[in-house]
Amino acid sequence: MTFLHFIPITFFQWCEAVWPGRWIKEATWVFAITETVHIMVLAVLMGSIFVVDLRLLGVGMKRRTASQLSKDLSPWMFTSVVLMVITGTALYMSEAVRLSQSAPFFFKILSLVLALIVQFTIIRSSTQPGKPEGAPLGKIAACLSLFFWFGVAFAGRAIAFL
Amino acid sequence: MHYIQAFCQWLNETQWSTYIRESDYPFPIIETFHVIGLAVSVGVVMWLDLRFLNIVMRDEPIQSVVDQLEPWAMGGFVIMFVSGALLFLSEPMKCYNTLAFRLKVIMLILTGLNVMYFHAKLYARLPEFDKLPNPPWQLKMVGIVSFVFWFGIIIAGRWTAYF
Repeated sequence: MTFLHFIPITFFQWCEAVWPGRWIKEATWVFAITETVHIMVLAVLMGSIFVVDLRLLGVGMKRRTASQLSKDLSPWMFTSVVLMVITGTALYMSEAVRLSQSAPFFFKILSLVLALIVQFTIIRSSTQPGKPEGAPLGKIAACLSLFFWFGVAFAGRAIAFL
Repeated sequence: MHYIQAFCQWLNETQWSTYIRESDYPFPIIETFHVIGLAVSVGVVMWLDLRFLNIVMRDEPIQSVVDQLEPWAMGGFVIMFVSGALLFLSEPMKCYNTLAFRLKVIMLILTGLNVMYFHAKLYARLPEFDKLPNPPWQLKMVGIVSFVFWFGIIIAGRWTAYF
Protein backbone atom coordinates (compact mmCIF):
# COMPACT_ATOMS: atom_id res chain seq x y z
CA MET A 1 0.00 0.00 0.00
CA THR A 2 1.35 3.45 -0.93
CA PHE A 3 0.01 7.02 -1.09
CA LEU A 4 0.02 6.85 -4.88
CA HIS A 5 -3.07 4.63 -4.59
CA PHE A 6 -5.16 7.54 -3.29
CA ILE A 7 -3.47 10.75 -4.35
CA PRO A 8 -2.55 11.78 -7.93
CA ILE A 9 1.14 11.99 -8.77
CA THR A 10 0.77 15.70 -9.63
CA PHE A 11 0.44 16.48 -5.90
CA PHE A 12 3.80 14.85 -5.14
CA GLN A 13 5.42 16.57 -8.10
CA TRP A 14 4.07 19.88 -6.79
CA CYS A 15 5.60 19.15 -3.32
CA GLU A 16 9.02 18.75 -4.86
CA ALA A 17 8.63 21.83 -7.03
CA VAL A 18 7.82 24.34 -4.27
CA TRP A 19 9.84 25.67 -1.32
CA PRO A 20 11.24 24.03 0.82
CA GLY A 21 11.22 20.76 -1.17
CA ARG A 22 13.02 22.25 -4.14
CA TRP A 23 15.55 24.07 -1.99
CA ILE A 24 16.44 20.95 0.01
CA LYS A 25 16.66 18.85 -3.14
CA GLU A 26 19.06 21.25 -4.77
CA ALA A 27 21.42 21.74 -1.82
CA THR A 28 22.37 18.25 -0.59
CA TRP A 29 23.87 19.41 2.72
CA VAL A 30 20.52 20.92 3.77
CA PHE A 31 18.96 17.44 3.59
CA ALA A 32 21.78 15.99 5.72
CA ILE A 33 21.46 18.72 8.36
CA THR A 34 17.66 18.51 8.46
CA GLU A 35 17.84 14.71 8.80
CA THR A 36 20.41 15.00 11.61
CA VAL A 37 18.11 17.40 13.50
CA HIS A 38 15.20 15.00 12.86
CA ILE A 39 17.15 12.16 14.55
CA MET A 40 18.34 14.31 17.48
CA VAL A 41 14.76 15.36 18.20
CA LEU A 42 13.70 11.71 17.81
CA ALA A 43 15.82 10.89 20.87
CA VAL A 44 14.13 13.63 22.93
CA LEU A 45 10.66 12.57 21.80
CA MET A 46 11.13 8.81 22.27
CA GLY A 47 12.78 9.39 25.65
CA SER A 48 9.79 11.31 26.97
CA ILE A 49 7.19 8.94 25.54
CA PHE A 50 9.10 5.89 26.79
CA VAL A 51 9.41 7.14 30.38
CA VAL A 52 5.71 8.07 30.69
CA ASP A 53 4.55 4.80 29.05
CA LEU A 54 6.78 2.71 31.31
CA ARG A 55 5.29 4.48 34.31
CA LEU A 56 1.76 3.67 33.12
CA LEU A 57 2.90 0.03 32.89
CA GLY A 58 4.12 0.27 36.49
CA VAL A 59 7.88 0.30 35.85
CA GLY A 60 10.66 2.89 35.62
CA MET A 61 9.98 6.05 37.65
CA LYS A 62 7.72 4.33 40.16
CA ARG A 63 8.21 6.94 42.88
CA ARG A 64 6.40 9.58 40.81
CA THR A 65 2.81 9.32 39.63
CA ALA A 66 2.06 9.08 35.91
CA SER A 67 0.35 12.47 36.02
CA GLN A 68 3.35 14.13 37.72
CA LEU A 69 5.69 12.63 35.13
CA SER A 70 3.48 13.60 32.24
CA LYS A 71 3.40 17.18 33.58
CA ASP A 72 7.24 17.18 33.90
CA LEU A 73 7.88 15.84 30.43
CA SER A 74 4.99 16.96 28.24
CA PRO A 75 6.43 20.40 27.33
CA TRP A 76 9.50 18.56 25.96
CA MET A 77 7.33 15.98 24.26
CA PHE A 78 5.11 18.49 22.48
CA THR A 79 8.00 20.72 21.45
CA SER A 80 9.73 17.69 19.95
CA VAL A 81 6.57 16.50 18.15
CA VAL A 82 6.31 19.95 16.54
CA LEU A 83 10.01 19.93 15.55
CA MET A 84 9.67 16.36 14.20
CA VAL A 85 6.72 17.36 12.03
CA ILE A 86 8.50 20.49 10.73
CA THR A 87 11.79 18.71 9.88
CA GLY A 88 9.91 15.63 8.67
CA THR A 89 7.68 17.66 6.33
CA ALA A 90 10.73 19.42 4.91
CA LEU A 91 12.48 16.08 4.29
CA TYR A 92 9.30 14.65 2.78
CA MET A 93 8.85 17.54 0.34
CA SER A 94 12.35 17.08 -1.02
CA GLU A 95 11.57 13.54 -2.15
CA ALA A 96 7.77 13.41 -2.28
CA VAL A 97 7.59 11.48 -5.57
CA ARG A 98 9.81 8.65 -4.30
CA LEU A 99 7.92 8.53 -0.97
CA SER A 100 4.54 8.42 -2.76
CA GLN A 101 5.60 4.95 -3.97
CA SER A 102 7.14 3.81 -0.67
CA ALA A 103 5.20 1.28 1.43
CA PRO A 104 7.26 1.95 4.61
CA PHE A 105 6.45 5.67 4.30
CA PHE A 106 2.74 4.89 4.06
CA PHE A 107 2.94 2.74 7.20
CA LYS A 108 5.00 5.37 8.99
CA ILE A 109 2.33 8.02 8.45
CA LEU A 110 -0.46 5.58 9.36
CA SER A 111 1.40 4.63 12.55
CA LEU A 112 2.04 8.31 13.32
CA VAL A 113 -1.64 9.22 13.00
CA LEU A 114 -2.59 6.31 15.29
CA ALA A 115 0.16 7.24 17.78
CA LEU A 116 -1.10 10.82 17.93
CA ILE A 117 -4.71 9.68 18.38
CA VAL A 118 -3.64 7.42 21.28
CA GLN A 119 -1.55 10.27 22.74
CA PHE A 120 -4.38 12.82 22.74
CA THR A 121 -7.12 10.46 23.91
CA ILE A 122 -6.36 7.53 26.23
CA ILE A 123 -2.79 8.55 27.21
CA ARG A 124 -4.02 12.05 28.05
CA SER A 125 -6.96 10.76 30.09
CA SER A 126 -4.76 8.17 31.87
CA THR A 127 -2.27 10.82 32.96
CA GLN A 128 -4.81 13.23 34.47
CA PRO A 129 -4.23 13.98 38.19
CA GLY A 130 -6.05 11.65 40.57
CA LYS A 131 -6.22 8.65 38.21
CA PRO A 132 -5.97 5.35 40.11
CA GLU A 133 -2.62 3.52 40.00
CA GLY A 134 -2.19 0.76 37.44
CA ALA A 135 -5.60 1.15 35.79
CA PRO A 136 -6.03 -1.36 32.92
CA LEU A 137 -6.91 1.41 30.43
CA GLY A 138 -3.62 3.15 31.22
CA LYS A 139 -1.71 -0.05 30.56
CA ILE A 140 -3.50 -0.64 27.27
CA ALA A 141 -2.85 2.99 26.32
CA ALA A 142 0.86 2.62 27.12
CA CYS A 143 1.18 -0.59 25.05
CA LEU A 144 -0.58 1.00 22.07
CA SER A 145 1.53 4.15 22.40
CA LEU A 146 4.81 2.17 22.50
CA PHE A 147 3.68 -0.02 19.60
CA PHE A 148 2.70 2.89 17.33
CA TRP A 149 5.61 5.20 18.22
CA PHE A 150 8.19 2.43 17.74
CA GLY A 151 6.28 1.58 14.56
CA VAL A 152 6.88 5.13 13.34
CA ALA A 153 10.62 4.81 14.08
CA PHE A 154 10.93 1.32 12.51
CA ALA A 155 9.02 2.26 9.37
CA GLY A 156 10.93 5.55 9.16
CA ARG A 157 14.23 3.70 9.15
CA ALA A 158 12.88 1.21 6.59
CA ILE A 159 12.15 4.05 4.11
CA ALA A 160 15.86 4.37 3.52
CA PHE A 161 16.31 0.67 2.75
CA LEU A 162 13.18 -0.60 0.93
CA MET B 1 47.42 4.50 14.50
CA HIS B 2 49.33 1.84 12.58
CA TYR B 3 48.04 -0.92 14.87
CA ILE B 4 44.46 0.33 14.68
CA GLN B 5 44.65 0.36 10.90
CA ALA B 6 46.09 -3.17 10.79
CA PHE B 7 43.34 -4.34 13.14
CA CYS B 8 40.61 -2.74 11.00
CA GLN B 9 42.09 -4.33 7.86
CA TRP B 10 42.15 -7.74 9.50
CA LEU B 11 38.57 -7.30 10.75
CA ASN B 12 37.42 -6.18 7.31
CA GLU B 13 38.53 -9.51 5.81
CA THR B 14 36.87 -11.75 8.41
CA GLN B 15 33.95 -13.94 7.43
CA TRP B 16 31.46 -12.09 9.71
CA SER B 17 32.38 -8.70 8.35
CA THR B 18 31.98 -9.87 4.77
CA TYR B 19 28.69 -11.58 5.62
CA ILE B 20 27.04 -8.45 7.08
CA ARG B 21 28.49 -6.22 4.37
CA GLU B 22 27.44 -8.35 1.45
CA SER B 23 23.99 -9.62 2.44
CA ASP B 24 20.82 -7.57 2.04
CA TYR B 25 19.01 -7.72 5.36
CA PRO B 26 21.38 -7.84 8.38
CA PHE B 27 22.72 -4.29 8.00
CA PRO B 28 19.33 -2.48 7.83
CA ILE B 29 17.93 -4.63 10.65
CA ILE B 30 20.94 -4.00 12.92
CA GLU B 31 20.89 -0.30 12.08
CA THR B 32 17.20 -0.06 12.97
CA PHE B 33 17.91 -1.55 16.40
CA HIS B 34 20.83 0.86 16.74
CA VAL B 35 18.65 3.91 16.07
CA ILE B 36 15.82 2.74 18.34
CA GLY B 37 18.26 1.83 21.14
CA LEU B 38 19.73 5.28 20.69
CA ALA B 39 16.39 7.03 20.96
CA VAL B 40 15.54 5.22 24.19
CA SER B 41 18.98 5.46 25.75
CA VAL B 42 19.76 9.09 24.91
CA GLY B 43 16.16 10.07 25.59
CA VAL B 44 16.40 8.61 29.10
CA VAL B 45 19.93 9.94 29.79
CA MET B 46 18.63 13.37 28.86
CA TRP B 47 16.20 13.35 31.82
CA LEU B 48 19.12 12.63 34.16
CA ASP B 49 21.10 15.48 32.61
CA LEU B 50 18.15 17.86 32.87
CA ARG B 51 17.62 16.86 36.50
CA PHE B 52 21.32 17.55 37.25
CA LEU B 53 20.81 20.98 35.71
CA ASN B 54 17.75 21.49 37.92
CA ILE B 55 15.42 21.91 34.93
CA VAL B 56 12.96 19.00 35.35
CA MET B 57 11.51 17.08 38.33
CA ARG B 58 12.95 19.54 40.84
CA ASP B 59 10.80 18.14 43.65
CA GLU B 60 12.23 14.62 43.17
CA PRO B 61 15.56 13.84 44.93
CA ILE B 62 18.43 13.55 42.41
CA GLN B 63 19.45 10.14 43.68
CA SER B 64 15.91 8.88 43.29
CA VAL B 65 15.84 10.00 39.63
CA VAL B 66 19.23 8.36 38.98
CA ASP B 67 18.26 5.07 40.64
CA GLN B 68 14.96 4.82 38.79
CA LEU B 69 16.17 5.76 35.31
CA GLU B 70 19.74 4.51 35.09
CA PRO B 71 18.84 0.80 34.54
CA TRP B 72 16.76 1.82 31.47
CA ALA B 73 19.50 4.05 30.14
CA MET B 74 21.96 1.15 30.59
CA GLY B 75 19.59 -1.28 28.84
CA GLY B 76 19.28 1.07 25.86
CA PHE B 77 23.04 1.57 25.87
CA VAL B 78 23.69 -2.19 25.70
CA ILE B 79 21.37 -2.52 22.65
CA MET B 80 23.11 0.45 21.07
CA PHE B 81 26.61 -0.80 21.86
CA VAL B 82 26.06 -4.36 20.63
CA SER B 83 24.31 -3.23 17.43
CA GLY B 84 26.95 -0.51 16.98
CA ALA B 85 29.77 -3.04 17.34
CA LEU B 86 28.13 -5.21 14.65
CA LEU B 87 27.74 -2.22 12.31
CA PHE B 88 31.41 -1.38 12.86
CA LEU B 89 32.34 -5.02 12.22
CA SER B 90 30.63 -4.84 8.82
CA GLU B 91 32.70 -1.91 7.58
CA PRO B 92 35.77 -1.29 9.76
CA MET B 93 37.90 0.21 7.00
CA LYS B 94 35.21 2.70 6.01
CA CYS B 95 34.85 3.73 9.67
CA TYR B 96 38.61 3.96 10.12
CA ASN B 97 38.88 6.36 7.20
CA THR B 98 35.93 8.56 8.21
CA LEU B 99 36.69 11.66 10.30
CA ALA B 100 33.12 11.75 11.69
CA PHE B 101 33.52 8.21 13.04
CA ARG B 102 36.85 9.02 14.71
CA LEU B 103 35.23 12.01 16.40
CA LYS B 104 32.33 9.78 17.45
CA VAL B 105 34.68 7.30 19.16
CA ILE B 106 36.50 10.11 20.98
CA MET B 107 33.20 11.56 22.20
CA LEU B 108 32.01 8.09 23.33
CA ILE B 109 35.18 7.61 25.39
CA LEU B 110 34.79 11.08 26.94
CA THR B 111 31.14 10.35 27.73
CA GLY B 112 32.20 7.11 29.43
CA LEU B 113 34.78 8.98 31.52
CA ASN B 114 32.08 11.50 32.44
CA VAL B 115 29.82 8.69 33.74
CA MET B 116 32.76 7.15 35.64
CA TYR B 117 33.56 10.52 37.23
CA PHE B 118 29.91 10.90 38.27
CA HIS B 119 29.81 7.47 39.90
CA ALA B 120 33.23 7.68 41.54
CA LYS B 121 33.07 11.23 42.87
CA LEU B 122 29.49 12.51 42.97
CA TYR B 123 27.02 9.65 43.37
CA ALA B 124 27.77 9.04 47.08
CA ARG B 125 27.27 12.76 47.78
CA LEU B 126 23.84 13.05 46.10
CA PRO B 127 21.85 13.00 49.41
CA GLU B 128 23.97 15.94 50.52
CA PHE B 129 23.35 17.78 47.20
CA ASP B 130 19.61 17.27 47.59
CA LYS B 131 19.66 19.48 50.69
CA LEU B 132 21.08 22.38 48.67
CA PRO B 133 18.72 24.75 46.84
CA ASN B 134 20.71 24.27 43.62
CA PRO B 135 22.96 21.35 42.54
CA PRO B 136 26.72 22.13 42.73
CA TRP B 137 28.63 23.09 39.56
CA GLN B 138 30.34 19.66 39.33
CA LEU B 139 26.98 17.94 38.90
CA LYS B 140 25.79 20.55 36.40
CA MET B 141 29.04 20.07 34.49
CA VAL B 142 28.38 16.30 34.28
CA GLY B 143 24.90 17.07 32.90
CA ILE B 144 26.16 19.55 30.31
CA VAL B 145 29.04 17.31 29.17
CA SER B 146 26.70 14.33 28.79
CA PHE B 147 24.06 16.36 26.93
CA VAL B 148 26.54 17.96 24.52
CA PHE B 149 28.51 14.78 23.81
CA TRP B 150 25.47 12.57 23.30
CA PHE B 151 24.05 14.95 20.73
CA GLY B 152 27.54 15.23 19.24
CA ILE B 153 27.65 11.43 18.99
CA ILE B 154 24.28 11.40 17.18
CA ILE B 155 25.51 14.06 14.72
CA ALA B 156 28.82 12.28 14.11
CA GLY B 157 27.02 8.93 13.75
CA ARG B 158 24.61 10.29 11.17
CA TRP B 159 27.48 11.92 9.27
CA THR B 160 29.49 8.68 9.25
CA ALA B 161 26.75 7.26 7.00
CA TYR B 162 26.92 10.21 4.59
CA PHE B 163 30.63 9.91 3.81
